Amino acid sequence: MKKLILLTVFLCLVSGLLGVELVFWTAPNPLQESFWKEVVSEWNQNNPDIQIKWSTIPAAGSSEEAILTSIASGRMPDICTNIFSGFAAQLIEADILVPLNSFPDFWELMEKRKMTSIVESWKFGNDYYVLPIYSNPIMMWWRSDILKELGYDRPPRTYSEIYEISEKYSVPYEKYGTLVVMGRNWYDRWYDFITYYYAASEGSPYLDVEKARALFNNDTGKEVVTFIDTMFRNNWTAVDLGSNPFYFGVVLGGIFGPWEINQARNLFPDVFDHIAIAPPPVPDDYPEDKPIYTFADTKGLVMFATTKHKEAAWKFIKWVYSDIEKDRKWMEVTNLPPAREDLLSNPIFQEYMDENPKFSAYASHVAYAVPPALTTKTVEVQDILTTFLIEQIMYGKSTPFEALSDAATRVRRELF
Amino acid sequence: MRKRLKTIDAIKGWSLSGGYLVYTAIFWGYPFVWLLILALSKWNYFTPRKFIWFDNFIKLFQDELFWRVFLNTFNFMLYFIPMVLGLSLLFALGLKKVKMFRTFFILAFLVANVSSGVAYSIIFQKLFAINGPLNSITRSIFGITIPWFSSPQLATLSIAMMVTWKFIGYYGLILFSGLQAIPESLYESAELDGAGKMTRFFRITLPLINPSIVMVLVLSLTLTFGIFTEPFLITGGGPMRTTYTFQMLIYTTAFQKINPGYASALAIIVALLSYGCVLLTRKLVEREVEMV
Repeated sequence: MKKLILLTVFLCLVSGLLGVELVFWTAPNPLQESFWKEVVSEWNQNNPDIQIKWSTIPAAGSSEEAILTSIASGRMPDICTNIFSGFAAQLIEADILVPLNSFPDFWELMEKRKMTSIVESWKFGNDYYVLPIYSNPIMMWWRSDILKELGYDRPPRTYSEIYEISEKYSVPYEKYGTLVVMGRNWYDRWYDFITYYYAASEGSPYLDVEKARALFNNDTGKEVVTFIDTMFRNNWTAVDLGSNPFYFGVVLGGIFGPWEINQARNLFPDVFDHIAIAPPPVPDDYPEDKPIYTFADTKGLVMFATTKHKEAAWKFIKWVYSDIEKDRKWMEVTNLPPAREDLLSNPIFQEYMDENPKFSAYASHVAYAVPPALTTKTVEVQDILTTFLIEQIMYGKSTPFEALSDAATRVRRELF
Repeated sequence: MRKRLKTIDAIKGWSLSGGYLVYTAIFWGYPFVWLLILALSKWNYFTPRKFIWFDNFIKLFQDELFWRVFLNTFNFMLYFIPMVLGLSLLFALGLKKVKMFRTFFILAFLVANVSSGVAYSIIFQKLFAINGPLNSITRSIFGITIPWFSSPQLATLSIAMMVTWKFIGYYGLILFSGLQAIPESLYESAELDGAGKMTRFFRITLPLINPSIVMVLVLSLTLTFGIFTEPFLITGGGPMRTTYTFQMLIYTTAFQKINPGYASALAIIVALLSYGCVLLTRKLVEREVEMV
């Protein structure tokens, strides 16, 4: 008996010493937490030699702030999710991330998760440091009930169609055609100017980071700013409309991500059934048979170069993302589209898509959703777009073309 | 014997103040020294820190955004300080007159002070919206719509109004305690000497609550340099960067633009500016008050 106890203690000690513990942080979001809790517990049960110590990103002003603090104090995790492109670029430039394509079976995993095209938007130099987890295409929501009253049976597609509907619906200081500008914070530019630019340009980049150039001062950019300007000059749109103007019918349309679906279902059940989801507006001459691109609000997973257990961490990542059932589970729990190109074609997702047509509208655009530029100057660039482009147009301080040209010059200077 | 008593006293003294000293060393001393080091360094959290001496400070004074925020802060002060001081004084004078339900009124005003900045920012955002209830009233009575958060000057005023609402109760109580300390006999003798209401207010009340006024001024000055939640949530620093505050600039520089060295230099300058304003106010306003 004594020998048996000693042997057990010895084995426990050996497994403790030889075993690997990986620190894994995920987004502080209750839905994502419940997904990871289950997945990590399944892994830990089946892999006593590689244990995952999972927690959400510690509480702070933002995920980036918490991660930066952990880096500064040398206590960063081995793997972390919830990384957006601009922050990823800063981490990559600081050389503290592991290029995931350094693992020999990286492309095998990309093939298996059907994300070979999606991952291309995350290429930095010649390497891939981020594994995109989910990709939220940004779409327009329209009030189908009000549209019907106005005599329309489908949401508007082009700028002119929006003008026509807005003219009919708008009453200054009371109600407006659509919410064109999302706010004055730097990140709001993802959901207005950049989304419209991607839609109008078939997903063309708005920055050339390597050559330090702003690419949006062209005919497409001019069409986008003319659209924003026309809406403001005619009082067909406004900012500062209080909270939830879409649900109260203050605006007919607005831009939203898929995270809004649950909110709409729970808080505004009467409006929920009258929401029509469509891609962002495009110029009048945009061909009808071409898909409309949009902005992808996407977050990814990274591995920190400080990890002592690269192979073990990769093994865990591979285990999670090579299992399609986990992606289905992710979709069901979080209502966020996994970053895969086969969401509409793979029968495994079919049932969920059929039951959730609104989610399906988002999923149909994952393949056409483009992430933002991978630049370390995201905040600076988008601050410039706010002050020298959007606000100039909003307040009619300069002509839209002048503002576009000035913003492009300032962005180039900032990137240089 | 005397030496032994001295040692015992010293032990007692150190053990009483030791906890506080350790706490201060860890949570104030250490960050303060680190702040000074960072302000003289170039660092991005990842790569090794490099001393650049006063480069951050030189860059700061050439930064267009710094001067914009500097002007914004003084612009905000122009609205906020007279408004909060005047209304708190009115509240305190009102409290003095009220004999019943005084605690209820105090608590009602203090609720604003303890409410969450995020929660009331959302409420004010709705209240001041272009299509909000305030504008519905002004439109129906005067036929005008006030762009509370859309006009550059009005946005500053709107935020000043929100912050005033939050602090009236707190500052009012400070002034009220000052009012309570004035002996009634002073008013009675002044009345006998033929002093009217205005004379009594300007010659007795105001001079005698000078310490409370100075305290409210100092608190509101330091508050002006620390505004963050309201503009961050409602205006995002706009329109045209007119509501961008020092705290927003420090936060975005440190954690979004990943430049903690520059943010630390900024924090030091802001602290010095705030300290300078407090010193100036005390010099200009503070008077020695003696009530015998």
